[in-house]
Amino acid sequence: MNGGSFVLNILILGVPFSVALLLAGLGETINQRAGVFNLGCEGIMAMGAFVAFLPPYFLAGTSLAGSANLIGLALAMVVGTVLGLLFALVVVTFRAPQGIAGIGLQMLGWGIAGTLFRHYVGGVTGVPGIAPMPIPVLSKIPVLGQVLFNHNPLVYIAFLLVPVFWYILFKTPWGLKVRAVGTYPRAADSLGIRVARVRYQALALGGAMAGLAGAYLSLAQAKMFADDLVAGRGFIAVALVYFGRWHPVGVMLGALLFSLAQALQLSIQVAGIDFPYEFAVMLPYVLVIVVLALVRKARMVGPTELGKPFDREQRV
Amino acid sequence: MKKTLAVLVTLMVLAGAVYGAPKSKVKIALIIESTVDDKGWGQAMHDAIVAVQKKYGESLVEYNYSEKMKPVDAGSAARQYASRGFDIIIAHGAQFKNLILELSEEFPKTTFAFGTNADVGPRNVFTYMPMSEETGYINGVIAGMVTKTGIIGVVGPVDAGDSARYNRGFWLGVKSVNPKADIKVAHTGSFADYVKAGELAQTQIKAGADVLTGAAQQATGALRAVAEYKDKPIWWLGQDTLQLSIPESFKVIAAASYDYAPVIEAMIDKRQVGTLGGENIPMTFKNGGFIFKYNDKVGTVLTAAIRKAADKARADITAQTLKIDWQPVKY
Repeated sequence: MNGGSFVLNILILGVPFSVALLLAGLGETINQRAGVFNLGCEGIMAMGAFVAFLPPYFLAGTSLAGSANLIGLALAMVVGTVLGLLFALVVVTFRAPQGIAGIGLQMLGWGIAGTLFRHYVGGVTGVPGIAPMPIPVLSKIPVLGQVLFNHNPLVYIAFLLVPVFWYILFKTPWGLKVRAVGTYPRAADSLGIRVARVRYQALALGGAMAGLAGAYLSLAQAKMFADDLVAGRGFIAVALVYFGRWHPVGVMLGALLFSLAQALQLSIQVAGIDFPYEFAVMLPYVLVIVVLALVRKARMVGPTELGKPFDREQRV
Repeated sequence: MKKTLAVLVTLMVLAGAVYGAPKSKVKIALIIESTVDDKGWGQAMHDAIVAVQKKYGESLVEYNYSEKMKPVDAGSAARQYASRGFDIIIAHGAQFKNLILELSEEFPKTTFAFGTNADVGPRNVFTYMPMSEETGYINGVIAGMVTKTGIIGVVGPVDAGDSARYNRGFWLGVKSVNPKADIKVAHTGSFADYVKAGELAQTQIKAGADVLTGAAQQATGALRAVAEYKDKPIWWLGQDTLQLSIPESFKVIAAASYDYAPVIEAMIDKRQVGTLGGENIPMTFKNGGFIFKYNDKVGTVLTAAIRKAADKARADITAQTLKIDWQPVKY
């Protein structure tokens, strides 16, 4: 393999690897912009992956088989929304500590998905999943076509959602409310913005995105479900929001950087380059930690009330 | 061919006939980090214990298991089993080593076992170690003869234990029939990250690999990635025969897997004559520790010449005329 194809393969592989992180990261950006960090993202992804897997598994061979993936995606988003709202109930209404509640949600999602999977499906099983959909004409462009336009539809949707989320967050009244309740909820409240309602909405949207990210893993990337399929990607998505400085474009760059580093370390091993694999597998994580440390020194643009419950009756 | 088969059948029958029924009731407990239906690591041990229980009857072999046990949780489960009078407690995984060594002192009359591990434990601890280089070698012979691109991919979890033995045996098997083959060995750093195993398999395929293999439960993720190349001649060699019965099996040329039943029977047998542990029980083709199956449904890719070469390798390994010196292999 020459140097050109080595780099090309890293790019071709890295782009689809990044999608689960990107989808979950976009949702988590909205959560955190509203002042709530959801460590339960991992558990919602597990539930999303599981429920998305069910329609293709159970509807195979029926007249609904053609729509099974779509049903699965919708189901994952609905379940993600419900879990996001459950988290909102705990941390917004009951004002529970967000970190502990998030870990609880992570364990709940992981546990329920694993238990239901064993009860209704059994062992590790594959599904046909979502097929690649090369974009006509564009996929034929040398290099760029293979890297950007030769993937499954969820890859395109995920990257198209980046400007959509940017627009929602920075150009709509609702986006302004989200940022306001995450930065200075008392001021927002005094202006008539219902902080709790906005946080509920943000967590519902964040949950839907985490569910979709899980569905991407089971329907488009692995095309199977197994216990612990998510394997820590939900936590990485949470870290990428800090990495991306609470901006959809930053989160996208973080997801791409992590995934390209992942593709690079796999390619280094496969190319037989004399480099200890133990260090190779660490590369993406080390990279994120290093960049996070650097970002910490940079100008903070994040929500200042992140992690703090809002109590309008509390005296300041 | 007939001679080879006769030798194999005789050895298998002998392997099954070595152990007799327990003289008194034996209570066996299994502790695993995965589940008993994971189609891999955990299920192989569970199935073996169930097979032994079925063979001798529930009146002679009582069996309980605890799943999803992290090493920190497993201690509590193991103590309960020991306190309830279980005779043999198997913590299936090398990660349970420290726990088992600690408990073995606390409960000196209980037999503990963990593996895979080649060390010899204290007097009431058995260890068991699959000589996976044997199955790796046979799969390697097949891979070396099947490959058209001359590039073969190995999806490893970590370079340790039976996986390291399997990969090196595989490497030697390939080189024995195809010295020029380029064998790309890479690791995910995890035993159970199915997604990452799939990513690694995709990376191998993009690099030109047309035959892949891999061990540990994560291998299903890699096989799933191979199955995405439905109409392309890209093949898989399994380290788990359950892979021959899943929808992706159309890509699996052959598969080997562990049969822990001889290990279980050996432990029961030894315990009943007063040996509570202190031995390492190897798993080999010779003692029935491995099962190997071809997939007749893959069609012409599995030629008579390949079968012949693989059968010969298996017969030579079983007869121990072929020694696999796996340790010096450097990828």
